[in-house]
Amino acid sequence: MFRFFRDGLYRDYIILILVTIIVGAAVSSGVAWAVDAYFGDTIQEMIGDNGEYDLILHIREASEEAAYRELERIAQQQYPGAVISKTISLAGQVNYLFGFPQEAKTVETFSRLPSIFNAVPGLNAYTVIVEPSVLVRGVHPSVSEVLQQRFNEIDGVSFAFNDGKNMLIVLESAEHSKTVMNEARRIIKEYQVLEIRFPMGFDVDVQTTGNEVMQLLSQEYPGTRLANVSSAEYGEELDALMKTLVEMRHFLLSYASKVKIKLEPQSRLVVGEQILVQGVSEQVPVTGQDAAPDHVMIEILEITGDQAQGMIVSGSVAANGGILTQPGYKYMSENKVGQLVGEVQIENERYRLNYAINESLRLLRELDDLSVEAATAVERADKVLTTFQEALMQLEVLQVQMQQLNKGLAENGVQSTSEQLIISLFLNGLLKNIAKSGSEAAAEFDLGELENLDVASMRSSLSNLAEQIGSIQEIDVQAIIDQITDIRDSLPELDDEEIGKSVHLVDNYIAGQVIPGERIQILVENGSIDEEKVEPLIRDQLQNQYLNIYSIAVGTVNPDTRTEVFRILKEVRATIAGILSIVLVGVFLMLDHATIFSTLKWFRANQKQPKHRLARFLNPIVIFGAVVGMTILVTTYSLSNASIPYVSMPMVAVIGTGLGVMIGMFSEKFSPVRADEIMAGLALGLSNAQIMHEIVIPDGRPGLLNLLNRTKQKF
Amino acid sequence: MLKIRGLRKQYGKQIAVDGVDLDVDRGETVVIMGPSGCGKSTLIRCINRLTEPDAGDILLDGQSILSLDDQSLRAFRRTVGFVFQQFNLIARLSVLDNVMFHLVLAGVPRVQAETRAKQALARVGLSGAENKNPANLSGGEQQRVGIARALASNPQLMLWDEPTASLDPILIGEVLDVMEELVRTTNTTSVIVTHEVGFALKVADRIILMDKGKIVEEGSPRAIFADPQSDVGKKYQRLIAS
Repeated sequence: MFRFFRDGLYRDYIILILVTIIVGAAVSSGVAWAVDAYFGDTIQEMIGDNGEYDLILHIREASEEAAYRELERIAQQQYPGAVISKTISLAGQVNYLFGFPQEAKTVETFSRLPSIFNAVPGLNAYTVIVEPSVLVRGVHPSVSEVLQQRFNEIDGVSFAFNDGKNMLIVLESAEHSKTVMNEARRIIKEYQVLEIRFPMGFDVDVQTTGNEVMQLLSQEYPGTRLANVSSAEYGEELDALMKTLVEMRHFLLSYASKVKIKLEPQSRLVVGEQILVQGVSEQVPVTGQDAAPDHVMIEILEITGDQAQGMIVSGSVAANGGILTQPGYKYMSENKVGQLVGEVQIENERYRLNYAINESLRLLRELDDLSVEAATAVERADKVLTTFQEALMQLEVLQVQMQQLNKGLAENGVQSTSEQLIISLFLNGLLKNIAKSGSEAAAEFDLGELENLDVASMRSSLSNLAEQIGSIQEIDVQAIIDQITDIRDSLPELDDEEIGKSVHLVDNYIAGQVIPGERIQILVENGSIDEEKVEPLIRDQLQNQYLNIYSIAVGTVNPDTRTEVFRILKEVRATIAGILSIVLVGVFLMLDHATIFSTLKWFRANQKQPKHRLARFLNPIVIFGAVVGMTILVTTYSLSNASIPYVSMPMVAVIGTGLGVMIGMFSEKFSPVRADEIMAGLALGLSNAQIMHEIVIPDGRPGLLNLLNRTKQKF
Repeated sequence: MLKIRGLRKQYGKQIAVDGVDLDVDRGETVVIMGPSGCGKSTLIRCINRLTEPDAGDILLDGQSILSLDDQSLRAFRRTVGFVFQQFNLIARLSVLDNVMFHLVLAGVPRVQAETRAKQALARVGLSGAENKNPANLSGGEQQRVGIARALASNPQLMLWDEPTASLDPILIGEVLDVMEELVRTTNTTSVIVTHEVGFALKVADRIILMDKGKIVEEGSPRAIFADPQSDVGKKYQRLIAS
């Protein structure tokens, strides 16, 4: 085969290969560069200059106008100096760039982005593009807080904040990017999450099993700090939901009718079984007969001695009833009434609560009226006391006058006239009566005792009483009444059956919420655990040979969005260059080299058949094609700085080889040669080079070979 | 001039030429005849090594053709005119270029080559067709261009490989007339493979009959067809008689 190249074709073919490589690399990298430049400019237009904007807000097209007004309002009222700019629209979504004023670029601002923009109509989502920054993707929730704190301490960091599962480290300047990235990586490496994955179908108690694993790891790696963070990924929201559900269950149970069963000695019940009572049904339950649809079904919750407690799960008792006592029967399969199990007492808690609230309201209204009346009474009492005090003073005067009168009578030795006697008796009697009315304790008229009455103390008591009544009157009883009324009105209008079903639902949810049982996550601090080493130990410990252990990083450090975008663009450029390299090399092989392969094949077919069996089996032209294809593609690919994701250089070589083999095998299909013309050329004494230059190449497909041949072609 | 000794060519299991010995004198016109597939074309192609023989030797003026290196072989080929059954013209070139291009490539100045080409075309009756494209010519004309191309290099040996086999009967005559004229007017040694018995009778100094890769009979045209010894010769005799 190589004889074919002897008369100068070697040089021509090497030149062709070199030109193929140079043109291939130049076109690949040129097109890729042009695409890169175009997209780079487009992105520059899209996301503005470095640091100009902080957010891209993705808004539904239909809401654009309203959204823009709201953004303007935010910019004017909350963040004067903020900049807004519309960028490209895609698939029914408009995108606005939003840049906070410099003074507002704080952790507080970025930490409450959702609340700042939650009123923007049609807002689908937003992307944080604050620059310069370092992005930490996929931060494990268990270390989010500590990482934020540690990132904040890095030199050159303004602040760090959470953006969903990512964390952005905002830098003081772009120069710090590299050092901060390195430092962030170092910090992240201090943490490791060991994930133990159980096969599908395994239901695992995360807490217990997690603790068991931690105990084992503590023994194997003493001094390493470990924490079970299996549920951390689900966030605080789930914990809050769980607590709410538990509280709701408590409330529902206390709101449901209380069912107490005094069990018959022979009755055998277990928790979870159901009994039935007549309730408001007209049909009395009879052992052995079918249960009526309106019989009340009760599920047993607890059994203590001969007492049991239950919960109504179907049917209702009368809404206005306080306590209902009826015989209870076991509920059997096929809807049959079983044996009597005891006396069932149902207390309607909702009725009692409602009753208590109504009574409270009545009490409050009475209290309000009472305070008004009490105030009036105290006022009157005060007036009476004043009158009494005045009367007492007048009596004192009268007493003195009477004493003087008595004395005058005695000193004059004159017998009292009947008139004087009458006056004296009258005054004494009057005083006695007054004294009696002033003090019931006084058995007889004694003005001295009246004088001893502590009127000031009485007035002080009255004053205190008046103050207390005043305080009561100051209470906004109406407000209390309104609120209690509201509470009463807002009480859920649930019957026992609905409550029972709700409690069941909550129970089921809580029971199933063992945090998806197929995996356990252990946070490892200040240490490194080799998952391959501990896997067999944990398998033995948990007696489960099917579990797998993975080590997960608590985050991945990336550059900021712009850098990331440009990095992606670079990858795109390299990928385009790679794809173009492959395509171009394929095209060149097809247009140019296939012509040569076809000619070689023709010559080979007209030569003596090779004697060696292996040479017959291995077509040297196909091998030659493979070598040429590989050489051209690998060189072109390298020169054009191409890089296709997941395609390594050996794979590129394989692709080049494959292309060469394919073109070598099917060269006649891609570029057939005119055998009769070659034969004529040979018969006329033309050299191989002349046959190629004058007959084969000019007749072949247009391409580099054809172009290069122009200088050598004479006809 | 030309000596062929023990020439053998095999395609797979098929023996095309089986130990052929043949001598051709200078200026002699030898016509090779025989049934299709008897190895005539293979034999004639082996002479200028368009087909490489497996064994035997071919000597031209005492020089072994089979031992020539590439360069010498090309030089030898330039002294041999070869006329193909299918014309084998270069489709993209004009008639004139087809006739002269190998001369130019062999180093003949273009003007001189053009003159020689035009003379060759004139000899085959195609003056005025120089600028035509071969595709626009009839089959007979195309074959005459092929003949002119072979003649243009003034060959010492002309090899004709069934030049009329691809032509319809109407056009065969014009080609045969040209061939007859050339053979009669030039002193070129010719080896002609043909089925045209009448032509052979007219131009051949000697007729070789081949069958199954071997020469089964040879002699003057009259001797061969008057008293054939081989089955092939007898068949040709019957053909002439009919």
